[in-house]
Amino acid sequence: MAGPASDIPQALKAPPAPRSRRRFGVRTLGGVLGVFGGSALLMGYLSLIVLIPIAAVAAHGLGITVHTHGWGLAFWHWTGTTDFSAFWANVTNATARQAIWLSLWLSLAVAAVNAVLGVVIALVLVRDTFPGKRLLEGVIDLPFALPTIVAGVVIVYLYGQASPVHINLYETWMGLFVALLFVTLPFSVRAVQPVLESFDGQAEDASRSLGAGGIRTFMSILLPSLLPAILTGFGLAFARAIGEFGSISLISGGLGRTTPASAYIFNLFSDGGSYYSAAAAVSVALLVISLLLLASTGVASTRVQRRLSQ
Amino acid sequence: MTASVIAPVAEPVRNRETNTRRRLPLRLLAIAYVSLLIGLPVAFLFGKAFGLGVGTFWHQITEPGALDALELSAKVAAIVVPVNTVVGIGAGLLLARRRFPGKRLLDLTFDVPIAISPIIIGLSLFLAYSKIGAFGPWLFKHGFMLVFSVPGIVLATMAVSLPYVLRSIVPVLIEIGETQEQAARTLGAGMWRRLFTITLPAIRWALLYGIALTLARTLGEFGAVLIVSGNVTDKTQTLPIYIYDAWDQVPTNDAGAFSGAVLLALISITVLVVLSILRARERRLRVDIA
Amino acid sequence: MSISLEKVTKRFGVTFGVEDVTTVIPSGALTAILGPSGAGKSTLLKLIGGLVTPDEGRIFIDDDDVTDVDPRHRNIGFCFQNYAPFRHMTVAKNVAYGLKVRHRPRAEIAARVEEMLELVRLSALANRYPAQLSGGEMQRMALARALAISPRVLLLDEPFGALDAQVRAELRTWIKELHDRIHVTTVLVTHDQNEAMEVADSLIVLNEGHVEQTGTPTDLYDHPASEFVLQFLGPSTNVFGQAVRPHDLIIVTAGQGWPATVTEISTLGFEIRVAIVLENGDAAWLQQSRAEFDTHPVTIGQAIGVQRRDATVSPVGTRLDPAARSTEAVPDDRALTQRAP
Repeated sequence: MAGPASDIPQALKAPPAPRSRRRFGVRTLGGVLGVFGGSALLMGYLSLIVLIPIAAVAAHGLGITVHTHGWGLAFWHWTGTTDFSAFWANVTNATARQAIWLSLWLSLAVAAVNAVLGVVIALVLVRDTFPGKRLLEGVIDLPFALPTIVAGVVIVYLYGQASPVHINLYETWMGLFVALLFVTLPFSVRAVQPVLESFDGQAEDASRSLGAGGIRTFMSILLPSLLPAILTGFGLAFARAIGEFGSISLISGGLGRTTPASAYIFNLFSDGGSYYSAAAAVSVALLVISLLLLASTGVASTRVQRRLSQ
Repeated sequence: MTASVIAPVAEPVRNRETNTRRRLPLRLLAIAYVSLLIGLPVAFLFGKAFGLGVGTFWHQITEPGALDALELSAKVAAIVVPVNTVVGIGAGLLLARRRFPGKRLLDLTFDVPIAISPIIIGLSLFLAYSKIGAFGPWLFKHGFMLVFSVPGIVLATMAVSLPYVLRSIVPVLIEIGETQEQAARTLGAGMWRRLFTITLPAIRWALLYGIALTLARTLGEFGAVLIVSGNVTDKTQTLPIYIYDAWDQVPTNDAGAFSGAVLLALISITVLVVLSILRARERRLRVDIA
Repeated sequence: MSISLEKVTKRFGVTFGVEDVTTVIPSGALTAILGPSGAGKSTLLKLIGGLVTPDEGRIFIDDDDVTDVDPRHRNIGFCFQNYAPFRHMTVAKNVAYGLKVRHRPRAEIAARVEEMLELVRLSALANRYPAQLSGGEMQRMALARALAISPRVLLLDEPFGALDAQVRAELRTWIKELHDRIHVTTVLVTHDQNEAMEVADSLIVLNEGHVEQTGTPTDLYDHPASEFVLQFLGPSTNVFGQAVRPHDLIIVTAGQGWPATVTEISTLGFEIRVAIVLENGDAAWLQQSRAEFDTHPVTIGQAIGVQRRDATVSPVGTRLDPAARSTEAVPDDRALTQRAP
């Protein structure tokens, strides 16, 4: 494999090394300061945007008051108190309970329905071909890109009091249900789709060759492998649904039997003054519920995943 | 069925036929559900808005209130998207490449805006920075008002659109590893040159995808901005707020609400189309990397 | 450009990457760092390249202390195991990268790139993207890219590991020829001892972060400093707990030497392997050329005697000349095996 006799030794005159001949310190001083400063900026930004506000909600919701003594360089001496009873009252009074319960079961139902249909749609997207499939994929992504208020407008006019198809879901839980299905579908589908794509079908072929029918194969072979992804999609859909505001703000009407938690918090906020802590309290409750559910679906998903890879 | 096992190569056509017959009910179900749930309302939106007449539509869009709202939305996007892109890239590189104490916390912090209701996000910002908040009095003294102000809207929008760039690029950063940067380093490239000539180009589709998502979220954010803006017309209305306001009026400004909704929908759909093209490109690139 | 390491140590957590390594890599030679997985070979290479900084010790490239110098300034060429191509750039742009970093004039870059591509025979693929290249082509591109900046040292990290056997063999020959022409100090990491023996002028054998032995391939093969080196480089078998080269054993008449029974006879091309069982139950094997075997053939089940070649007992059949023993690498032919009943 001898190549052409090019003029190698001469041509290998080394071009000069890069300009800055800093010969000390692999980690140059400027680099270190830069990374350090950048990280500090990052942490500052995140604290400003996320960490401090979350702390503020927790503080107001739980009635945490902190008394500081002095701002000097010497240590702050502070004492804190929590008003748990106020928190509890704000969260368990009749209207609050109603709102939280409504959001909770609606979100669970919506996540469940879309979990099932998400799998169906993913199957069709991954394994079927027909004219217009691209269009279908695009439509599924619409709620993802569409602002929630636009979804809200659309739903309230289509299924509201002046409904052109004569379906009036104004101020009903059904209206909320439809709106939530609308906004959470992409999550359910997209959680399952890539996992399904990665299956090569060999296990299913093996199952069929052993005589199992389509449904049997699906239930015993395909579904279990998809379970972690389905659980993840369920968690995502639930988290989205329980916090959803824009799309349901219009069809849920005002105060009434069909006020979900997010609207309830907003109403409390609008009332202002002493209701701020009530709003914060319900927010905390909602956060805890979301956290619990996300954690449990996460754990369940990992556990199933682990069992699958053994 | 057994025939396809005995002679798999010889039966491709037959397989497809059997598949179609079996797939049909599922296909119909999927199409029906998606059409009814999503397709119908969106089609209705466009139909109704243009049914009012293109003239009315245009009149509504160019109404000063609407234009102001559009302008404000654009201004906010012009600030928020670049900031969150830079933050996403910086934090993304950290999360994907370095180990350090508190890494988990950093990761979780970026999960918060997605997992939490926008109402709660708006409320949290209000409780932290408005007059009654912890920093409120100090900020107020220095002339910063969170409520009824554009800075407040910017802040709220930053909070809700924070994670999209990061979540989009981190998996790709992890997948491609650091060897390309190491190679560039041995060839003499410094940190910034490596970032701009090697790292960012290598993740460009995922990066653009994340930016597109950030933009969509920024333009469309409603709940958090509603709380923070105080909803004073002509001053602090973004386009979504404008739409809500149109609906909230008595009598309901149907035309305004619809036109605004359509405009916002068109913008978002454009972003969506860009998104799908990007996703297709990214998928193709993934195959190459494998 | 010789490379010198003095007491270099690198730890990863509680495990040692490399420990107390002191060695000199001769200038202009092709040196292979050889060892089992996890021996620290890649770590050592990356230490030389500067991608990893040592916890202790100093590293010198041609009398310059480069221990604290960023890889950017060491003027080395590094080829990675998975080629690390810049996927968003064409082959030509890949090769040009190092020169662009050095702000060379455009004409010079173009000329140099063309020259490098010709050298590695990728000129026709200059405008392709890495995704369109085969593994072997990508590795050649990586070499061109590294050589374009005229490095004083070329470092190759298991460069042929991910390729199939045929391509690997071709590239091995090719890199030896390239090195003969260019004479850049080259250090190559591999776990494949055949590759090392075939290609390298000098070897460094690493085991668990320590240098076991350095020298020419023949040195290490003929005079292994430890049992590890003997077992790692070239075939070995165990006789009474001692490692020995299979072709250092000869067959003698039963009654002489160590008593043994023949269990298997395999033919691999011109090489014959005779598997035996010794009196104490040890299983070993002898390696003989066809000619050697034909002068005193044995059959399965036959009782024979076995001893080291350098003993003074006459073997079965003609006395063999020790100098005629074969040191060629064994070709990978299919073995025709006769099994013992």
